[in-house]
Amino acid sequence: MLEAINLRKSYGDHEALQGLNLKVNAGDIYCLLGANGAGKTTTINLFLNFVEPTSGTARVNGVDVTQNPLETKRYLAYIPEQVMLYGNLTAIENLEYFARLGGHAGYSAADYRSFLDRVGLQANAANLRVRTYSKGMRQKVGVAIALAKQAKALLLDEPTSGLDPKASNEFSALLLQLRNDGAAILMATHDLFRAKETGNRIGIMKSGRLVQELSTDEVSHADVERIYLEHMH
Amino acid sequence: MIRIIARKEFAEIVRDGRFMWTAALMVLLLLTAMLAGWQRHGSYMATQAAAQGATNTQWLKQGDKNPHTAAHYGNYAFKPLGPLAFFDNGVTNYTGTTVFMEAHKQNFAIASPAADTSAISRFGELNGAMILQVLMPLLIIFLGFTAFAGERESGTIRQVMSMGISRTSLLGGKALGLAAAVLIVVVPCVIIGAVFIAMTDLPVVGEGLVTRIALLTIAYLAYAGIFLFLTLAVSAWSRSPRAALMVLVGFWAFTAFIMPKTAAEISKAVHPSPSYGSFMAAMKAHQARGFDGTPPWAELGKFQGQMMRKYRVSDVKDLPFYWTAVRMQRLEELDQRVFNQHFGAVTAAYAAQRRLQDRIGLLAPTLPLRSISMGLAGTDLIQQQKFQDDAESFREAMVSKMNGYLSKAAVSLNGVNSASNYLIANEDVFAIVPPFRYQPPALATTLSEHWMNFAVLAFWLGAAILLALLGVQRMSLERD
Repeated sequence: MLEAINLRKSYGDHEALQGLNLKVNAGDIYCLLGANGAGKTTTINLFLNFVEPTSGTARVNGVDVTQNPLETKRYLAYIPEQVMLYGNLTAIENLEYFARLGGHAGYSAADYRSFLDRVGLQANAANLRVRTYSKGMRQKVGVAIALAKQAKALLLDEPTSGLDPKASNEFSALLLQLRNDGAAILMATHDLFRAKETGNRIGIMKSGRLVQELSTDEVSHADVERIYLEHMH
Repeated sequence: MIRIIARKEFAEIVRDGRFMWTAALMVLLLLTAMLAGWQRHGSYMATQAAAQGATNTQWLKQGDKNPHTAAHYGNYAFKPLGPLAFFDNGVTNYTGTTVFMEAHKQNFAIASPAADTSAISRFGELNGAMILQVLMPLLIIFLGFTAFAGERESGTIRQVMSMGISRTSLLGGKALGLAAAVLIVVVPCVIIGAVFIAMTDLPVVGEGLVTRIALLTIAYLAYAGIFLFLTLAVSAWSRSPRAALMVLVGFWAFTAFIMPKTAAEISKAVHPSPSYGSFMAAMKAHQARGFDGTPPWAELGKFQGQMMRKYRVSDVKDLPFYWTAVRMQRLEELDQRVFNQHFGAVTAAYAAQRRLQDRIGLLAPTLPLRSISMGLAGTDLIQQQKFQDDAESFREAMVSKMNGYLSKAAVSLNGVNSASNYLIANEDVFAIVPPFRYQPPALATTLSEHWMNFAVLAFWLGAAILLALLGVQRMSLERD
């Protein structure tokens, strides 16, 4: 579903990504670990075509991202560290706007409500302007947007950092639901525990390279931490 | 897609606190300006009609006298204004409203409204055109400067672009949403203005009123479009909303305040027009030495010889017309050649200044719009010139009619040299001079004078759209 082939990105002399090969299939939750500057966000930006690759190919659903940037975005949902919404619009209005931008104009008001219900947003908050929302509430609306978009692949850039453990746990439960519905999920994160809990595959990045891949059912929490720290030294 | 974005932009703008107070202020100012303009125009036209009527009667009822003396008694032309003057009074505050038309002298228009007002009200007189030219751009800037820069700063732009929409649609949607927010403020005021005109019982001066209103609307929409796309372009190119606002407000001050004044000064420096004093002195001196160096008395001597040869007489008293009258008419025509040359030079200098200003409009879109607006409203210098020309034609016809009547009616007085050498005429004779009527330039003439301004406005709109398109294509999605 998500595929990077010899993907490179350099900014002048700095090589942000040095030939990444990566594949995330439907039903995968692939967690990218690595220090800040390892190339996680660059990878996500390349899949979104927010930056042009220096060489190599990124594919979404088999379609080249640079050739058909608008088509590939139809298959994607993006949830950043901070889901940014329009403060003067309500959650329903934000959701409706993004759903329509994503090409889904057919939802009813009840549909929008049920998306927000599914992500666990309090019913009375749906008609409030999101200016007043906490980070956790905004992340939930972000997931609702992904649900409404019926995305085949999700790109998550540290979506749980800064969330309290309960909110983080709820968020992970939502991801599992999405995966069970058949989505391919690529998540950049610093949360080793969450990566082992939620993900089924882990990739460790360092200085623009994917240095190791793991399957979470073959390693323990302690293994993940040990392997990660080994690479960081 | 564009409609979806436009609807959301509109909802967002309208809910923003900025919108309520800027819109309220704008509506208040625009309506006040239109009402003030309407009141001003009504009282001006009432005064004009009363004065023109009085002077027409005065001419007829001036009392029995010699026709040439009646031409000296003279007549006044009072400039009427078209109904659109209430919206844009152009230069009319500073140009003369009245021309005294008399034998032997071509006069400048006098009595400008500004001369009658106190020092304070000379500045910042409210009119609808000024509000739209100066404040509408500011409204557009205030509502639109965050369009891209704000979304980039808050991070929503990444979210939006991840949905798979093209940058051009995003620009289109934002332009449409912003336009809707601006139009709901401006359009009701414009409709009220049109209703004012429709309800008027004032005389319509100048033809093609509906076309004029339509063209004014197009020109102002283009002007709004220029600022709209420039605002979006700058917002896309800028690092932050703050930087966008600074650039935009700077440009606004440049085009709306600095350039109009500067363009006038530059064009005056390049194509100087004489001061009143030096103009009059030069014209009088020229009149005395004769048009091409032959003094008037010598010209008249030549003319007398020509007439005597033509009618084969040895004494002017034997001419078949009243010689004194024909001689006076000849002198009038000799003087007119001098007047025409001097007044013509001033007119040409003004025209050259105007053409230069039109070219400076390439730097500041307010200039071409201002010219078009005044031109269509019938309140620019071109139409002031036409009024003066009409007054001069009237004056020449009046003098020539009075002298002409005298030359035929007083043949028997030829050569009689006594106190009774006087023909007295009455109202019936004065009535051969029809009342003064100002014929404003035809709409087609006005348009042909302003094609350059329309072209410059179109150029600006095209350039603004292009800048905005380029801006969104090159726009970074990352915060700095």
